[in-house]
Amino acid sequence: MKAIPYIFLFIFACQSNAQVADFDSVNFQRTDSIALAWKDENLTNLPALVDKLTANLTTDVTRFRAIYRWVCGNIANDYNLYAKNMRKRQRFKDDSLKLKTWNNRFKKIAFQKLIEDNKTICTGYAYLLKELSELADIDCEIVHGYARVSTTNMERLDAPNHSWNAVKLQGKWYLCDPTWASGLPNPETTRFEFQYNDGFFLTNPELFAINHYPVDKKWLLVDPTKHTFKNFLEAPVVYGKAYAMSSIPLAPTKMHNTLRKNEKISFHYKLLKPAKKEDISLLIDNGNSSKKIHPTSTTIDDQSLTLDYKFEKTGFYDVHLFIGTDLISTYTFRVKS
Amino acid sequence: MKTRLPFTQKKGFSRLGVMIILMTASLAFHPIYGQSSEVSATQTAQKERIIKGLISDSYGPLESANVVLKGTKIGAVTDSKGEFTFPKALKTGDILLISYLGYETEEVKIEANTSFIKTILSEGLIEFVGALNTDKPYKSKKPKH
Repeated sequence: MKAIPYIFLFIFACQSNAQVADFDSVNFQRTDSIALAWKDENLTNLPALVDKLTANLTTDVTRFRAIYRWVCGNIANDYNLYAKNMRKRQRFKDDSLKLKTWNNRFKKIAFQKLIEDNKTICTGYAYLLKELSELADIDCEIVHGYARVSTTNMERLDAPNHSWNAVKLQGKWYLCDPTWASGLPNPETTRFEFQYNDGFFLTNPELFAINHYPVDKKWLLVDPTKHTFKNFLEAPVVYGKAYAMSSIPLAPTKMHNTLRKNEKISFHYKLLKPAKKEDISLLIDNGNSSKKIHPTSTTIDDQSLTLDYKFEKTGFYDVHLFIGTDLISTYTFRVKS
Repeated sequence: MKTRLPFTQKKGFSRLGVMIILMTASLAFHPIYGQSSEVSATQTAQKERIIKGLISDSYGPLESANVVLKGTKIGAVTDSKGEFTFPKALKTGDILLISYLGYETEEVKIEANTSFIKTILSEGLIEFVGALNTDKPYKSKKPKH
């Protein structure tokens, strides 16, 4: 009986490896070009769409990839729809009856929008991916939960705000986020633009857990005692580029940090994709000005990045870690005398 | 069987090995007998026929619902009246999968006397939410000095 916790630990340890690297030998170029070839298809006949996307593919991973890539490249994020839903949900959050009525109304609007305009919000992406995968006989689940980005108002993160997917391939569950993979708002117009990010496909669950927390913890796919909801709320901000570069922030574990002048702070990352030492930099912003530095202490050994820094002046700093021009993560430091 | 026995002899399998192969082979053949008897029963009971149907939800007919013969790629889509005519003649025991985005998928079995299918799809339990991603750098609201 004593062995049971170890068995669980073993299961978690194995699952933490469930990531796209398991399929390193698979070339997704062909599947992606199939998805591209059916670009103008609509959602009126889903079985026919699935057939077009998967007919010439033999493995579940390539069939799923073709479906996923099609969804990410053809379904747009509808910000107006998102804003309308968020406003209503916020207004009715303490009135479960009104919230339910709104949900039912919104569901109709959202599905209509998805079918007619190929536009939706997260749950629509997750729902469509599940529906299409199931038509291809692939187990795929919608995962509801909490998600954080740089602009998330943490005080309002009191109810699930995002949906993503878990998919079973070769007997193992993997995570993906088709919404965030599909694109981003244009920084000037704030309109949605397709910009595929491959980092959200069968992502390392350790990285995923930093800004995705499922309502049902089994979909963490990592040990929930090491990745608690509190850890998630306190974690540093990670950006899409962290996913694209498969860079996992390990330390500091918190977004907001306090330390003394000249006290050493160590940054530690796991880099699943190779990076050069000279490309690593910190952008330090004291509220009035910012400077970019390349700490001399930076080392990259195997997949492990470490670098140290000391603040010489008191103050409040936003610290952004970059790999090349890619913004990976952000922390804040209150430096006392 | 004919192709398998010489193979096992060549490799010099033990008696146990031959028994395992025989048992496996008998398992493999079993469903075939089951199927063929079913087909003959079906043929006598009912000929293949064209099935029509009406798909709706609790509010009324559903346009663009998908109807697919299970295990195949053959299917139909409902028209603006929620009606469909299945393109292939179906036989008793065939199963149609009826799906529509936002609704639970239904399986409908073709019975001996089925010629018209009326199905009401129920809405899936789903709540819509959405968090947007952004690559906008985080910026602290600074306390005033």
